[in-house]
Formats: sequence, C-alpha cells, structure tokens
Amino acid sequence: MTTTNNVFVRYLPLLLLAILWEIAPRLHFVDPSELPPLSAVAKAWWSLLLDGEGKTWLSPFLNGSLWTNGVSSFINWFFGLGGSILIGIALGVMMAWSRTVEDVASPLVKALYPMPKSALIPVMILWLGLGAGSKIASIGLSCLLPVILSAYNGARGVDQTLIWSAQACGANQREVLWEVILPGAMPDILAGIRNAIAISFIVLVASELLVGQRGLGYLISFLGEGGVYDAMFAVVITVSALGFFADRAYLYFMRRTLVWRE
Amino acid sequence: MTASGIVFGEVNHTYRPMRGRPVLALDGVSLEVKEREFVALLGPSGCGKSTLLYLLGGFLPVESGSISVGGKPVVGPGPDRGIVFQNYSLFPWKTVKQNVLYGLEKQRMPKAEREKRAHELIELVHLNGFEDSFPSQLSGGMKQRVAIARTLAIEPETLLMDEPFGALDAQTRTLMHEELLAIMRRTPKTVVFVTHDVREAVYLADRVAVMTARPGRIKEIVDTRPPHGDRVNYINTPEFTAKVDYLWNLVRDEAIRAQEAHDA
Amino acid sequence: MERVNSLWKRRLLRSSSVILLAVAWEWGARMHFVSDFLLPSLSSVLVRLWQDIVSGDLLVGLGLTMARTFAGFAMAAVVGVVVGVTIARLRFVRWFFDPIVSVGNPLPKIAFLPIFILWFGVFDWSKIAMVAFSSVFPVVVATWAATENVDKYVVWSAQSLGVSRRALLWQIVLPSAMPGVFTGLQIALPISLIVVIICEMTMGGEGLGGSMMTSMRFADSPGVFSGIVAIAIVGSLLVKAMELIRRRLLVWHAESAR
Repeated sequence: MTTTNNVFVRYLPLLLLAILWEIAPRLHFVDPSELPPLSAVAKAWWSLLLDGEGKTWLSPFLNGSLWTNGVSSFINWFFGLGGSILIGIALGVMMAWSRTVEDVASPLVKALYPMPKSALIPVMILWLGLGAGSKIASIGLSCLLPVILSAYNGARGVDQTLIWSAQACGANQREVLWEVILPGAMPDILAGIRNAIAISFIVLVASELLVGQRGLGYLISFLGEGGVYDAMFAVVITVSALGFFADRAYLYFMRRTLVWRE
Repeated sequence: MTASGIVFGEVNHTYRPMRGRPVLALDGVSLEVKEREFVALLGPSGCGKSTLLYLLGGFLPVESGSISVGGKPVVGPGPDRGIVFQNYSLFPWKTVKQNVLYGLEKQRMPKAEREKRAHELIELVHLNGFEDSFPSQLSGGMKQRVAIARTLAIEPETLLMDEPFGALDAQTRTLMHEELLAIMRRTPKTVVFVTHDVREAVYLADRVAVMTARPGRIKEIVDTRPPHGDRVNYINTPEFTAKVDYLWNLVRDEAIRAQEAHDA
Repeated sequence: MERVNSLWKRRLLRSSSVILLAVAWEWGARMHFVSDFLLPSLSSVLVRLWQDIVSGDLLVGLGLTMARTFAGFAMAAVVGVVVGVTIARLRFVRWFFDPIVSVGNPLPKIAFLPIFILWFGVFDWSKIAMVAFSSVFPVVVATWAATENVDKYVVWSAQSLGVSRRALLWQIVLPSAMPGVFTGLQIALPISLIVVIICEMTMGGEGLGGSMMTSMRFADSPGVFSGIVAIAIVGSLLVKAMELIRRRLLVWHAESAR
C-alpha cells in the first residue's frame, strides 16, 4: 500500500491528533473529566513512574506502580507466549513430519480453531486460581493454535525436491528435519509468531482486567474504579505503546532473519 | 557388472493418490546404462521418465522389478547418485558457498579441505564473486550452475538430471549445454538425463531411450554418439538433423497419444 | 496391499480421534481421576447445556451476545469499508489515516475498554463501541489493499470502452475489490465475537461471557464448561456462515470454481 517516504510527513496526522487532544479538553469542546488533556495524562504518567516508596534513589521507580505492575505483566506475557512458541513449533512440525501425529492431532486442531480462545480464561482461573498461573496458561493456550498452524503449514510447504536434494547429499532423517524442514518452515513460523504476539497482548490485558491484583491491566481497572482518569489514560497509552513497539521490534527481527528472501 | 553400471529390470510403478484410482505409471521398464555413459530418457509429458529417475535416485520405493547400481540394489537416496532438479532446489536460506558446502559437510570432510573443494567447484561453474550471494539474487542459469556445483562437490559416480534446463530461456539453455559437456569431459560420470527436448537429447547423450506415453515403457533406444567424437560441430551436420527427425517421429506418436489420453 | 491397508488405517484414525477424546473425557471424569470440580463429565456438561436451552437462559444470553456482536460488527463493516475505499482513492484521506491505521493495528485495543466504560457507561453501548473499535481496523486494512490493488489492466480495458468515473468505481473497482474486502470481514467477525465475550466477562451481567464468569464465581464448573461449548459452537457456526455467504456472493471468482 502506497505511503510517503518522509517520516515526518507520514506521521504528521498523529502529531495533529495529539495537539487536538490537548486543546479540545482545555477549551471544553469535550468534557475534561472524560478526556483529560494530553499534558495532564503525561504528568500522571510521570508520577506513576516514580510513585514508589523506599530508601534508595532508585526506589521511586523500582517500587513505582508502572514498573512493578509492568514486571508482573511481563512475566505472564513472556512465559505464556514463550511456552506457546516452543510447544507450538514442536507440535506443528511433528504434525507435518509424522503421519500418525497428524492423523491424531489435526482433527482436534481443526475443531478448536474457530473457538474464541479467550473463552478459556474462566476455565484457567477455575483451575489455576487468580494469580499468574491462570494468566500464563490463558496466554499460552490462546497463542498455541496460530503457532501450531503456521509451523504445520510451513513444514508441509517445504518443497519435496529440497528434501530429496539433501538426502542425495547424504543427509539422514534427523538432519533433514533440522537442516531443511525447520529452516524451510521459518518464513511461515515467523509470520505465525507475529500473529501470536498480537494475540498475547490481548489475552494478557483481558485476563488482568478480569481478575488479579497485579499487572498493567489490573492497574488500569484499579485507577478507573478510583476515578483517577488521567493516570488511567496514561497506563492505557503505555500498554498500547508496548504492544506497538513489540510488533515493530519483531518486524525488524523478522526482516533481518529472512534477509535471504529479498 | 561394472562399478557404476545401472540395470533396470522389469520396473513397474503405480501411482496411488489419496483420492481416486491408482494409475500405472511405469510398465515393465528394462534398461541398461553402462559406466560413464550419458543416457537421455526422452518422452512426452506424463510418460513416467521423471518417476523412473526418482526410483533410481531412491526417492520412491521400488515395489516391483529391480534397479541396481554397480551390482547393488537401490534401497534409498545416497551420495553415490547426485541429483539436479528443474527447479534448482537450492536451499534459499543458504548462500551459494553454503549450498555447495552442504554435501561436503554431510561427508564430514575436514574444514580446510571442504573450503578448498567448494572454491574449486564455484570456479568450475564460473560463479566466482558470488559465493556470498543468496539464490534469490541469482538468475535461473546461475542458480542451476550452483545446483550442479553442489551435486558435483561430493563426486557422485552417477549424475541424475531431471529436465535441468527446462526452466531456462533458449539462450541460457544453449550455454548450459556447452558448460555441461565441458564438465563431463573433465570429470566423466554416468549420467541419466530426463528431457522432452529432442535436440537437447541428441546433442548431449550417447544413447537416447524413447519412452511411450503412460504407462511408460521403453519404445526404442537410439545411438546418438557423434561419428567423430566431436559434439560441438556435430550439431550443424545433416547426420545430426537426421537423428533428430528420426527421434522426433518416434516421440511424436507418443506425444499425440499422451495428449489424447489427457483430453479423454 | 500393504499400502491400501494403511490408507484405511489413516482414515480411521482421523475420524476417530475427536470421538476418542470425547470418550476419554467422559470416562476420565467418571473415574474421578480429577475432582468433579476441575473436570465435570462430558455428559453433565451436555445435560447442563440442554437445561439452559430448555429453560431459555441460553437463548437470552445468546441473543444478547449476538446482538452486541452484530451491532459492533455492522458498524465496523460500514465505517471500515467506506474509510478503506476512500483511503485508496483520495490522497488527502490516505495521508490522514495511514499513520492511524499503521500505528493502531498492532495495539491491544482491549486496553481501551475502561476508557469506553468511562465514556459510554456500563451497559451495551460501551461493549458495542469496543467491538466496533477493535473490528474496524482489519476491515480498513483489507478494503484499502483490495481497492488499491485492483488489476490495472481491467481498469484500463474499462476506460478504453468509455466508462464514466462513477460507473468505474461502482461497476469495476468495487466488484474487483470484493474478494479482499470480504476476507477482511471474515477476519473481523470472529474478532467481534471475542471482544464481546471479553467485555461481557469483564463487565458481568447477561450474555454468554457474563454468565460464564458468574458460573466461575459460584464455582459452578458445569456452567463454565457448557459456556465454552456454547461459545465454541457459535464461533464455528459464524465462520461457516461467512464461508457460505462468500461462496454465493463471489460465485464468479476463480476460488469458487472448486
């Protein structure tokens, strides 16, 4: 899709919207108690960052609301997503590699695919409680299917002649799996992981909004219930920014890994 | 039985799709290829020539009949039978040099030796300077040369080629013919070459085996060695044209038959 | 012979693995390998589902959830297609929306739910707005791409036949873009359902998501599981329905000629 190459011109509308966000509440075009001006949100963000108590000079940050809840969210996200990636790739490639595994697993995968995975969150809470466990499990299960499918399709899509060429070069079965199938499936797998990253953020925030005492999602609803709306907006923007930069960073990593594609 | 002589004994092959009826692809194919001989398999689309090549390569299981190389039956793929495919089949995530090195790594050749050999082969196919390029950056002809280099690196006794120049434009194809002949002069091998191009078969091969439309059988084997051992000038002689005409007439009937079977 | 046998073995494995799993579930629950609370038996879940259907509870919840889903989806579809087409055709509009779409797409939009609750209250409108907000992005992206990438040779052929600008848009460009636009809608509908479920779970009340959370709070595990089954069925029905509609709407398209 065509866009301009000039970064400033391209993102100028966002700058204009930011200015609008500042002016409109101040001039009472919108109700400032429902949409605090951007500067108030920024101020609230700054105080959230440094509202921790403690003796050392780092304490305001390290004990602050943003950092502590951020770490909590990060742990849930990292283990949930990480687990789903490792298990998903292994399962997906196994399904493509072994006919027996495929025959057993693929009808299950196809049946579970259209189900909204976030519906599993209450079950996870039932089984694993209100803490990190249920959130990690929810994220993991939600991200598992896209990764499995992309690994499966990627592995199956590897050209038969590539496998044969490797065998004619003297590669055994294990070498074919690790040196031909896995690298050959990488483009699809990496695309599936990008998808999974987006899903992981959604399930993370949803599960933290629902239950629990920690995490950025929890912080948003806590601030909202307390009526501290400028801080609430600040955290929403923070979470959104994290999701955005995670996607961008991953895209950069993906392009560098797949540099051979041209 | 000579060291790398190939013997096909009454080979049958049935193609069994997941859905639909099984189809007899090869029907009692028998053929002998002498050591260091260049034999072309010529026939219309669907006659099973590629299938025969894949059976020889060990990529498909021999269910009925026998195939032996150097007296030993074929049980699976191996570095004694190198293969070059029409779609080049280069590992796209590896550079030219890494592709050529692959077979040598599988042979557990020591590093210094591998590097030297890879360098020799890249030079042989005139791709100096492209060692660190990826296949996506190369033209079709260049990619095929990398594929040939990769296969020749492990010094297989037999070379299997499945319409290797089919995807190239006519000019590149002619250049590749000359390069292949030059390589064969330097390091002679037993070659089984699948093609549907009659001129290419006569130009490159010592003998051409014409196959029938599906189910494939050997229709006739024609000697195509140039009378004075000089292929390059042979191509412009009337003897060459006569050979091509003769073979074309053999293939033509089968091509028509294959077309009718397809339309039916 | 060997190969034909293995073909049948494979077909058998494929069709039976789901059945086997269901049987294993029922047997495992009855054997009390885990407590009834953690894994109620399949039969108790299905019985519960049936009870909810008969009592009308399920239909009420289903109706609410579906109404919210379709309301939000419809808004997202209309706004998304209009914006997408306009972006593709008007440079100023494209300049304005491009960064918004590019930045907005990867955001976890569910984080905005508390904001929407602040703005629209705790009843239906906040849920519908949240759904529309989440679902509009894939529709815009798909519509934009589909409209921009209309085969230029088709357009040139039409122009050389003397078609007006208006007719070009409505009779050539939009129909050509239809497959891509519809794909965007097919992506957006499950998103709408997921977002409604999450909103209902967070905000409580009636609706499939809300009643699942209520069951959870009362440790009523058959209720939770029957909720999952209901949502799963609804999810797959929606996807199938979209596929059927696509086949009829795009009957001229190559992919329908299978």
